[in-house]
Amino acid sequence: MFKKHRIEGIRRDLEKAVGAENVFTDDAEILMYSYDAGMARAKPEAVLLFTSTNQVAPVVKILYAAGIPFLPRIAGTNLSGGTIPLRGGVILNLSLLNKIRQIDTVNRMALVEPGVVNLRLQQELDKFGFFYAPDPASQKVSTIGGNIGENAGGPQCLKYGVTCDNVERLEVVTPEGDIKLWAHSDPGPDLMSLIIGSEGTLGVVTRAWLKILEKPKIIKTAVAAFASIDNAISAVTKIIGAGIIPRALEAMDKVSLDAAKKSLKTDYPPGTEAILLIELDGSSDRKITGELRHIEDICKASFSTYFRTAADPAEREALWQARKGAYPAMARLAPNVLVEDGVVPRPRLPEALKETRDILSKYKITAGLLFHAGDGNLHPNMIFDERDVQEVKRVNKAGYEILKSCIRLGGTISGEHGIGVEKRVAMNWMYDAATLDFFDAIKKAFDPKDLANPDKILPVAEDRRAKENSFQPDLLGEAAAALISELRLRRDKGVKSAVKGLGTRLYADPAARGAKALETAGLNRILDLDRENLTIRAEAGLPVRELKKWLKKAGYGVALPDLDGTLGGAIAAKAWPDMRHILLGMDVAMADGSVLSFGGKTVKNVAGYDALKLFCGSLGAYGVILTVTLRTALDAGPQQGPAKDVRNKFRPDDYHRRLKKAFDPGNLLNPWIYGE
Amino acid sequence: MSKYEINELYDHTQEPFHLKHLLTDLGERTLYDAAAQCNRCGYCETVCPTYMLTGRETISARGRNQFLRLLIEGKIRDTGSAEESFSTCMLCGACSSVCYAKVPTPDLVLEGRRSKDGYGQSLPARLGMNLLLNNRGLFEFLLKIGFLLKRLGLAALAGKLGLYSFIGMPSLGAAQDSLSNAPLKFLRDIFRMDTALSPEGKKEISWAYFAPCGPNYVFPEVGLATVALLKRFFGDGVFADNFCCGLLAYNYGRITEAREFAKKNILRFEELKDILGDFAIVGDCSSCVAFMKSYEQLFTGDETWRPRAKAFASAVKDILEALPAEKLHKIKGREPAEGETVTYHDSCRACHGQGIRSEPRAALRKLVEKSFVELPESDWCCGGAGAYAFTQTSLSNSVLDRKIKNIASTQAGTVLVGATSCLLQINAGLRKKYPSAKAVHYSVFMDNLTKC
Repeated sequence: MFKKHRIEGIRRDLEKAVGAENVFTDDAEILMYSYDAGMARAKPEAVLLFTSTNQVAPVVKILYAAGIPFLPRIAGTNLSGGTIPLRGGVILNLSLLNKIRQIDTVNRMALVEPGVVNLRLQQELDKFGFFYAPDPASQKVSTIGGNIGENAGGPQCLKYGVTCDNVERLEVVTPEGDIKLWAHSDPGPDLMSLIIGSEGTLGVVTRAWLKILEKPKIIKTAVAAFASIDNAISAVTKIIGAGIIPRALEAMDKVSLDAAKKSLKTDYPPGTEAILLIELDGSSDRKITGELRHIEDICKASFSTYFRTAADPAEREALWQARKGAYPAMARLAPNVLVEDGVVPRPRLPEALKETRDILSKYKITAGLLFHAGDGNLHPNMIFDERDVQEVKRVNKAGYEILKSCIRLGGTISGEHGIGVEKRVAMNWMYDAATLDFFDAIKKAFDPKDLANPDKILPVAEDRRAKENSFQPDLLGEAAAALISELRLRRDKGVKSAVKGLGTRLYADPAARGAKALETAGLNRILDLDRENLTIRAEAGLPVRELKKWLKKAGYGVALPDLDGTLGGAIAAKAWPDMRHILLGMDVAMADGSVLSFGGKTVKNVAGYDALKLFCGSLGAYGVILTVTLRTALDAGPQQGPAKDVRNKFRPDDYHRRLKKAFDPGNLLNPWIYGE
Repeated sequence: MSKYEINELYDHTQEPFHLKHLLTDLGERTLYDAAAQCNRCGYCETVCPTYMLTGRETISARGRNQFLRLLIEGKIRDTGSAEESFSTCMLCGACSSVCYAKVPTPDLVLEGRRSKDGYGQSLPARLGMNLLLNNRGLFEFLLKIGFLLKRLGLAALAGKLGLYSFIGMPSLGAAQDSLSNAPLKFLRDIFRMDTALSPEGKKEISWAYFAPCGPNYVFPEVGLATVALLKRFFGDGVFADNFCCGLLAYNYGRITEAREFAKKNILRFEELKDILGDFAIVGDCSSCVAFMKSYEQLFTGDETWRPRAKAFASAVKDILEALPAEKLHKIKGREPAEGETVTYHDSCRACHGQGIRSEPRAALRKLVEKSFVELPESDWCCGGAGAYAFTQTSLSNSVLDRKIKNIASTQAGTVLVGATSCLLQINAGLRKKYPSAKAVHYSVFMDNLTKC
C-alpha cells in the first residue's frame, strides 16, 4: 500500500547509519509495529533499531531529506494510538537506548536515555534514597521517552507535578535532524517544555535530564470508605481546600472495588460506593499526624463509614493493592479495557461523575471508575471485546460523550494519556479554530514537511470544523478589548509595539527601537478567585505584589517570590522559572489582534502543545499576555530562590526565530528581541 | 463456548494435532478467545527475555500473541512469516506470569508452531518419539552406545553416526561437553531392581517417584537424591516405573504421541492407585512436572480421558514444593562451609509454569540461612529451554550470559536449579565464563544437607 521504493532508495544510507542488521523491511517485522495498546492500526514501511543515541540525528536527517515520515517508538503502550504510523514511513525503535547514564544526587538530576523503563529508574534511584516523581500506572513497562512524549502523570503528581514539572533539560533531534539541547530555565521561550507532551510530532528526545527528589522520611497512608461518591468527592474538595497537599489522593468506585476484591485484604462496610486512598509524606511526624487527624475529621464530616491508617509498610502496601489491582481486575473481566482520561476542575468532579455514569448506563457499558481525585483526572475503565463491532462503537461513543462532558464542565480531554489519533477529533470540541491554527503554526515551524509523527494531536483537515470567531474579546473586559483593538489598528498600519507594563523590564526607550509603547497597566483586575479549586485568575497588568497582597487578605497565597513589575511581565521575562509549576492558564493577544486561550482551571492538561510554557520567557515578542490563571495555596507558599533576570541573556535559537516568524510575521511585537 | 468461531490457523482435518481448548487462568477458552484476551498492554515486554535482549516487538511475547491472533483471524495467511517470532520463543512463560489476564502465550506459540507445515515431521522427531514410545528398549540401547562412545573418548563419532538425531535427541549430542558423567546405567534400571521401591507388599504410600527423562537418562544422581529425600521425610513410597511425560513430543509438535505418553502414565498411575490409594506423584524436573500438571489440557476434546488426566494432574508434585520447611532440620557438619554462598535459580517451569517460588526459598532459609543469597533476576530463563540452545544458539547464548552475569554478581559457589535442562545449560555457561560456581540440582543439595 505504500511505495516500498521510498525505503529502497535510501536503504544503503540507513544501513550505514544503524547497521544493516538493524534495518527491517520484511512483512513480518513491519506488521508487528502496526499496533500499540490503543485501537488504531497502520503498518510502517520500515523499522530501524537503534543501538546508540548518536545514530538518531543522522537517520532523521536522511528521512527528512527523502520526505519519509517517521516516529519514535519504545514500549508501544500508548493508549491513544500515538505510535501508529498513519502515513507509513519509518518506525524509529529506540527500545535499546535504555541506559541510565548518570545519577547525580548532589545536583538532584538523573541523565537517562529514552528507553529507560520508569520503574527501573525508580529502583535505581531508590538505592540512593531518591525518586523521580511521575509514576504513571504503567510505570512497570512505560519508558521515560514515552512518558515525556505524553507528559505522563500518576498518583504522586498531585503533589509533585507531571512529567513537564520534573524534567530539567532535553536533548532533542528536530524533525530536520538537528541536535538541540533545551532546558526550561534557558533564557527565552521554553522550547524544552514544548517538546514534552508533543508525542513525537516536534522531534525525537534522545537524552533527558530529570529532576530527582529525596525520598520523604515519612509516608502515611489512610483509606476512607463512603456510602456515596458525592460524599467522597466532597471530602476530597475539603481536604485540598484545607491546604493539605497529599502525596496521592485516589478514588475508586464500587465497580472497581468489586472487581479488585480478590486482591483486597480489607473488607469495607456494606453499602460502600467509593473509597479514597490518601497518602501524605514529609519529614515531620507531628505535622503529618496532625494532617491525618484533620483528614479523618474531614472524612467523618463527609459521612465516611470507615477510616483507617496503615500501621506499617505491609498494611500500606495492602491498601494500595485495591487501587493498583483495579485495572488488572478489569482486564480480566473482558479482553479489552478502554481507559478514558478527561479532567475537570476538582469541585466539578461530582457533576462529571454523575454525567459519566449516565453516559455509561445509556450505552450499557460496564466500567470501573478510578480517578486521581486530587487533580480531577477521571479514568473510567470501560471493558469490552474489540471483536464485537457494535460494542466498540458504543464504547467509542460513550468515550466521546464523556470527553464532551469534561469540556462542558471547564475541563480538558486528556490529563496524561495524550491525544494521539484517537482523541484527535476531540481537539475540535476543546479549542476554537484560531487556537488550532496556532498549534498548526508550531508544528509547521518545527516540521515544515510534516514528517514527524504526522496526523497526530491536531485534527486532520477533513475533521476540522468551520472557522468561526468563537472568541469574544469583550468577555475579557474593557481594558483588554481596548488593547486588542489598538493591536489590530497597529497591525493594519504596520506600527510596531513595545509591550509595557510598569516599565520594570523595559529599559529601552521604545521610540528609539522604532516601536510605540503598548500599555498593559490598565489590565489590572482580579477576575476570579476559585476558593474550592484553589485557582486565581487575574489580568496580566496587575503588579505581582498587589496580587500577593490581595490574596493574603483573602486568606490565600501563591508560590511566587516578591517580584517587581506586573504578572504578565514576570511571566514574559521568566523572572521565576519555577512559575511553570503554578501556571495553569492564559489568554494571549497575538500580533494580529486575535485572542487565544490556553489551559484553564485544571492542574493537568495535555491536550495540544504546551503553549503556556512558550509564553514563559517570550519577552513580549510572541504575544501580549492578557490574563493569567495560577494555582493558589492556603499558605503563602515557598518564597525561596532569587528571581532571575534572563532578558539580556536571551540569544534566540533558530527555532525561537521560526516560531516568532509564525506568530508575528511582521515583527510587530517587541521588534528588537529578534533584531531588525 | 465462544461467540467467535473463526480459526484460519489450520483446517479442520488438522484438529487432532492441536489442542481443542486451552485451560487458562480465566477458564476454558477456545484458541481464538485465549489469544484475544491480550489487550496489548505490553507488561509482558518487561520480562520477555528475547524482547529485552533485542528490543524487537517481532520476537516479543506481545508480538507472538498478535501474530497468532492475525493468523487465526486470517489477516495473515502465511504461517511461515511468523516462523522467527514463534521459533525464538523459549516458552519460559515469564509473560504469562506478569500478565493480568494470564494469557497463556507459550501454549499459543506452540499452537502456532503446530500449524506450520512439516512441523514435527522431521526425522529425529518422528523416529525418536516413536522409539521412545513404542520401543524404549532400543532407544535406551542406542543412547547407551552413544554414552559408551563418549566415555571411550569418541564423542564425536556418536555425533557423526547421527545416533542422537536418530533417537530424537540431537540436543543431547550437541550437549556432549556438558555431560560430564554420561551414565551407562539408567535410573530406571536401578530403581526397578530396588525392592524397597516396589509396590509389592505395600498397602498405602504417600509418594511415588516419577523419573523424568533428564534424571533417568542423564543425571541419575538427581533421582537418587530425590528418592532419598522422599524416604527420609515421607516414609515409604514406590518408583512409578513411568514413561516419558510426553513433553518432548509435545514441544516437537507431535501432540498425538504426547497424548499417548500421557495415557501410558495415567494408566500406570491408576494401576498403582487401585492397590495403594491416594499418593503424590513426585518428579524432579520442573519442565516435566509442569507438563504433567497440565495433562488435562491435552484431552479437552476427549471426555473419557479428560477426567482421568485431571485426576492424575492433581496428584503431581514437584520436589521443589514437596519438602516443607517445617519438616526439615539441619544435620550438623553438613551445612556449607563458612563464606560459601548458595543461590537459587527459578527454573521457568517451576516459577512460571507452577508458581513455585516461596517453597524452596523457605526450605533454604531454614537450612542454610547464612549462606543463602538471592539471585538477581532469579526467574530470568537460562536459555536452555529444551533444544532451544541448539536451535537458537546466538539468542540462547545472550540469555545465558545474562544469567551467568547475575550468578557472578552474587559470588555464589552453588546455584540451585530444579530442572535438568537448566542444569545442563547453566553448567555449560559457568564452565566457560564463571568456573568457580556450579549448578546443582535442588534434590542433590537438599539430600546432602539432610543426610545423616
